[in-house]
Amino acid sequence: MNLDDGNPIVNAHDPIVLVRNAHRSFRRGNERVDVLGGLSLEVPPGEFLALMGPSGSGKTTLLNLIAGLDRPDQGEIFVAGDKVSGMNETQLAAWRTRHVGFIFQFYHLLPVLTAFENVELPLLLLPLSARARREQVMTALDLVGLTERVRHRPGQLSGGQQQRVGIARAIVTDPSLLVADEPTGDLDAKSATEILDLMAELNTSLHKTIIMVTHDLRAARRAHRTLHLDKGVLVTEPDMSLYEAG
Amino acid sequence: MHTIRLIVKNLRRNPIRSGLTALGIMILVPVVTLIWSILSFLDAATEEKASNLKAIVSERWTLPSQMPYSYATSLSEGASREPDDLRPEDSMTWSFFGGSLDPKTRTFDNSLFAFALQPQKLLTMMDELDSLPADQKERFGKVVDKLASNRQGLILGEDRLAAIDRRVGDRITLYGLNYKDINLEFEIVGTFPVGRYDNSAAMNVEYLLAALDAYPTSHSGKKHPLADKCLNLVWLRVPDRSAYETIGRQIAESPLYTSPSVKVETASSGVSTFLQAYRDLIWGMRWLLAPAILVTLAMVISNAIRISVRERRTEMAVMKVLGYRPNQILLLVLGEALLLGAVSGAISSIATYVLVNNAMGGVKFPIAFFGVFFIPNDALWWGLAIGLATSFLGSIVPAWSTRSVRVVDVFSKVG
Ligand SMILES: Nc1ncnc2c1ncn2[C@@H]1O[C@H](COP(=O)(O)OP(=O)(O)O)[C@@H](O)[C@H]1O
Ligand SMILES: [Mg+2]
Repeated sequence: MNLDDGNPIVNAHDPIVLVRNAHRSFRRGNERVDVLGGLSLEVPPGEFLALMGPSGSGKTTLLNLIAGLDRPDQGEIFVAGDKVSGMNETQLAAWRTRHVGFIFQFYHLLPVLTAFENVELPLLLLPLSARARREQVMTALDLVGLTERVRHRPGQLSGGQQQRVGIARAIVTDPSLLVADEPTGDLDAKSATEILDLMAELNTSLHKTIIMVTHDLRAARRAHRTLHLDKGVLVTEPDMSLYEAG
Repeated sequence: MHTIRLIVKNLRRNPIRSGLTALGIMILVPVVTLIWSILSFLDAATEEKASNLKAIVSERWTLPSQMPYSYATSLSEGASREPDDLRPEDSMTWSFFGGSLDPKTRTFDNSLFAFALQPQKLLTMMDELDSLPADQKERFGKVVDKLASNRQGLILGEDRLAAIDRRVGDRITLYGLNYKDINLEFEIVGTFPVGRYDNSAAMNVEYLLAALDAYPTSHSGKKHPLADKCLNLVWLRVPDRSAYETIGRQIAESPLYTSPSVKVETASSGVSTFLQAYRDLIWGMRWLLAPAILVTLAMVISNAIRISVRERRTEMAVMKVLGYRPNQILLLVLGEALLLGAVSGAISSIATYVLVNNAMGGVKFPIAFFGVFFIPNDALWWGLAIGLATSFLGSIVPAWSTRSVRVVDVFSKVG
């Protein structure tokens, strides 16, 4: 496996994520809530981007659109040259497997599977031999430093270790983009630092583009750039008191 | 392959729930298997055969049928008189002699009910005995020969022999129950092949006839009240329906059978007539009991699957996020139910088959003249089929509901 093999379709100068005038609203009872009202964003390849903002500001909604979990009501979204906003659900599912790695606050590992099997899960959707799968899983587990724990089930691992398995699962298909929603939100300070170190390492040595939603200023400081979302609009100068309070 | 591994792991996640569901299947499958065994046996018995039929001749107007033994010879010939009249391929007469081992107190265990017949007909006319495998046929043939050469012989089923606590070779006296004052001494010459006749007894009809002939000498010249009523049935084997109808007409048109008159019916219609008395019971078993059990089973499975789906909605959302399609998730859930249903259903029906047929020697369910029922070989598949069908019905709705698991919920739950 060749984890640092850049995506050939994307020109180094083209943004890997391009959001153009994205609108997304939800119905709440009879009301229509405009969460994103014409948001635009460019993320160059290899960037480590932090997204901050108060609760309910639309961070997760934006992440869902970029990662192909949801589609905008209006506007266009391109990721790694693919027009994600134009795909149907089946196409999105197949696209996600190859192009996006997901890292969750609560790890979301399958409790019945071992670390190895959890990491292997996305690979089962790809036409790979058992041997190739095995190699890729072991490489990913090696990158997160968990080769000693392949046979352990999530219940037998600490939170930090579970998140490492989660990260291994996110990178095992060698996606160009990693999205993370509060990846350290459920971890103690020490584990959080280790996970952030790991993500920074994946960014620098493997050139993974990372978009990370976080409430944690220390986490945001590890990113190249921090964007603040407020009421569905990206703002440059945030009202810092919002974070200090929470 | 991976899907199956994941299915098995998911089933093992909650061993108590999976185990209880499997147990439910394993308990209910045998019940349905037993009911269906009995029904399929009765269906086979009442199914009109197209060839190799048995015609039953009995008294027309009274039950039980009691005809004079003088009818025996001509009825056995199908009442044929002219050379070109049709004759049955084979025939047998039936008389029933009930007797008790103890002249005073009579219990189920000390009395028995013997078919009085021409011994060789046991091998050619009796259901199942006419098609024994070679080794059993040879053994039973020797027993029949003893009954033919020894007028006082008696053949018993294994269970009846055990019930009266006697052995082959023992001599017993039976004090007549239906034939009052006819007390007969017998020598037990052998047993029926294990199976349908485990509770039966057979004697040589000549012995009964001789006893009836001798009766007047000890009863001041008076005939026994049943002397002219000792032929209960005649069976005729005919090749096909048209032969059956021809012989039926010959008998109906014969002047010989006027007092009493006789009727001819097929074995299956005879059985059907007999089963009329059990019609409601059989209907209830077929259309209420068995379906109710199947529905219960589907509900047990549905319940287990519904709970396990509800517990795992987030996991399923994660799998969808990773790129699994809704149908793959649906199959995963369906597969869990089907695997559980198929495996426990199959184990259960094989166990039922072995236990009932080999260990218990059939189910005792006395209905009409059938006493013991066996689980048919087909029933080995019933458990698998019942397990698959009920688990499919029970899990299709919860499995389908996983399609509504939305990927966006995975992050939204996080805040
Ligand atoms: N599927 C949905 N249906 C209805 N409302 C939603 C849905 N997803 C998000 N919202 C609403 O959109 C707003 C933004 O949500 P979200 O993007 O999760 O915010 P954040 O992640 O920044 O806390 C919230 O008010 C939330 O209630
Ligand atoms: Mg959020």
